[in-house]
Amino acid sequence: MRLLLVEDAALLGEAVRDQISEDGHAVDWVHCLDHAAASLATTVYDLILLDLMLPDGQGLDLLKRRRQGGDTTPVIILTARDQLSDRIDGLNAGADDYLVKPFDLSELSARVAAVARRYTGNPNPLIHLGALEIDLANHTLMRAGQPVALTAREWALLEALLQRPHALLSRSQLEDRLYAFGAEIESNAIEVHISRLRKKLGHSVIDTVRGMGYRLGQA
Amino acid sequence: MKRAPSLQRRLSLGLTLGVSLLWLAATAATTLIVGHALDKTLDSALKETAQRMLSLAVVEIINRDEADLLQQVASFSAHEEYITYLVRGVDGKPLLVSHDIDLSVFPDTPQTGLRSTATHRVYGISAVSDTFFIEVAEPLSSRRQAKWQTTGLLLLPLAGLIPLILIGTWWLVRHTLQGVRAYRDTLESRGAGDLSRVAGQDLPAELLPVASAVDHLLERLRCTLEAERSFTANSAHELRTPLASSLAQLQRLRREVPDGPVQQRAKHIEASLQDLSRLSQKLMQLARAESGSFLTQTPQDVVPLIAHLVDDFQRTSASPIVLSLPDNGPVTASIEPDALAIVLRNLMENAVKHGHPGSPVNVSLTDAGTLRVVNTGPVVPNARLSRLTERFQRGETRTRGSGLGLAIAQAIADGAGARLTLISPASGRSDGFEARLQLIVVTAPPLSLS
Repeated sequence: MRLLLVEDAALLGEAVRDQISEDGHAVDWVHCLDHAAASLATTVYDLILLDLMLPDGQGLDLLKRRRQGGDTTPVIILTARDQLSDRIDGLNAGADDYLVKPFDLSELSARVAAVARRYTGNPNPLIHLGALEIDLANHTLMRAGQPVALTAREWALLEALLQRPHALLSRSQLEDRLYAFGAEIESNAIEVHISRLRKKLGHSVIDTVRGMGYRLGQA
Repeated sequence: MKRAPSLQRRLSLGLTLGVSLLWLAATAATTLIVGHALDKTLDSALKETAQRMLSLAVVEIINRDEADLLQQVASFSAHEEYITYLVRGVDGKPLLVSHDIDLSVFPDTPQTGLRSTATHRVYGISAVSDTFFIEVAEPLSSRRQAKWQTTGLLLLPLAGLIPLILIGTWWLVRHTLQGVRAYRDTLESRGAGDLSRVAGQDLPAELLPVASAVDHLLERLRCTLEAERSFTANSAHELRTPLASSLAQLQRLRREVPDGPVQQRAKHIEASLQDLSRLSQKLMQLARAESGSFLTQTPQDVVPLIAHLVDDFQRTSASPIVLSLPDNGPVTASIEPDALAIVLRNLMENAVKHGHPGSPVNVSLTDAGTLRVVNTGPVVPNARLSRLTERFQRGETRTRGSGLGLAIAQAIADGAGARLTLISPASGRSDGFEARLQLIVVTAPPLSLS
């Protein structure tokens, strides 16, 4: 997935970015509302991690504006405000989840995964695909009863395909999901990850539509 | 405590007493003056009578044949004599008397001038070089009677006046104090958390400054509470963000460091950072808990709040939470939602912490607003129960904890007018610990008639 992190605390933002990246997602990190608005105007994100008190305003205002504009990108609020009324305000403004600082990074990872699943219409973290049994919550995968280890990038790629099972995803779409702005990407990075996934999961798991992109195999 | 005096009662009694006393004083003065005037008039009439009688009597006595014989003057018609007289010679021998005379009234020897005896007012004069004496006597009883009658007539209206003043004052004061009563009722009927202005436009002019002082005070109180709350909220933010940064960085560090002594040390630092963040959260909750009232001006249904709180707590809880809510619709309570959240969270944390690991914690709410949090932990002796709500008091336990949770819950319950009861063993069981919070329910749930 591609995530936007809006957080002005440098040390916290850095740790969150590293954690989410390690989970295999692409993270763009901005420090203020202006930059967040600019990023949102040019890029499609799968999830926004939003701090509430930012140097140039309230995160809730950004959220409200986007919801009023019909945007449904999932949002998880990261805030130091722990009052029930703040939480209810946040959820009423259209947030999908609310995480109070200080939080465990593993808790953050779990919530990110849960919100993402909710949006793909599959709240069940266990997915069966042919001989594959995929546990999205715990990041474990069984192939014919045997565990298979995937790297973070491979997971992210598989999740991207699983989220839209029938859609065709272009190479650049997949790159967007996997890499943040300015990341160095080898020109054949996606092809390399796809071929490794096929090797681990079976060739028919991913279909290649020549010149167009990839989609989940009908196996 | 001494009962506060009622203005109505005081004014009624005071005015009645005052008017009565004034009236009595006026009556006394009038009686004295009238008595004095009466005496003066009657005395001069007595003198006049004596002088007229004496000249006539002297002529009569000198002209008669036997001058020293006692003669009783007959009256033209029989009547009870009011003024009696006695004419005596120089030797004291009676010469002429009125027809109905009682000689015992007069002294043995004639005396001149005005004087009073026990029963009569007597006046005596002499004539013809002290050879004839006349004394005229008037009974004092009739004078006294006249005086008493005057006093009686003056006092009579007072009997009617006292109830009239009482009723009149009572009515007037009641009417005048209507605005004050309305003001009092407004104050009484509002919730303790209501710090808005009090409508005092019907108050008498003398009390308007009081109303404006009350408004002023309420306004200041509201500002202070507001400032305190925003300070607490801001310091929460200021404190939490660096804590969150340190914790997140440390967790990242732990992922990058291989198992070994450094990993162990990082683990310990993480644990103490977690403790620090919990303690700072508790201290902020406690500061907030003691900042005053937790009654909201707009009571609301606590059922969805409790459901949300339990749901949220469930996600990070070590033990499952079993929630049961009333079926009959809303339970509207006047506790502030944030305060309720803090209490319930602390009670649940406490129940999970001290319960058997992994065994469920029951949270239930009744229609009557009784919120119960029950675990299956060991029985807490009675002597300890009462001390648990003191600050930094921990139960007999090896679990980590700040010892503040129940103190916070207690302080907030006090501020919200709710009653927190700690029971062990839990009601209907032989073990466990029950925290029971009786909320103030605003409107009773609708009674089902079936």
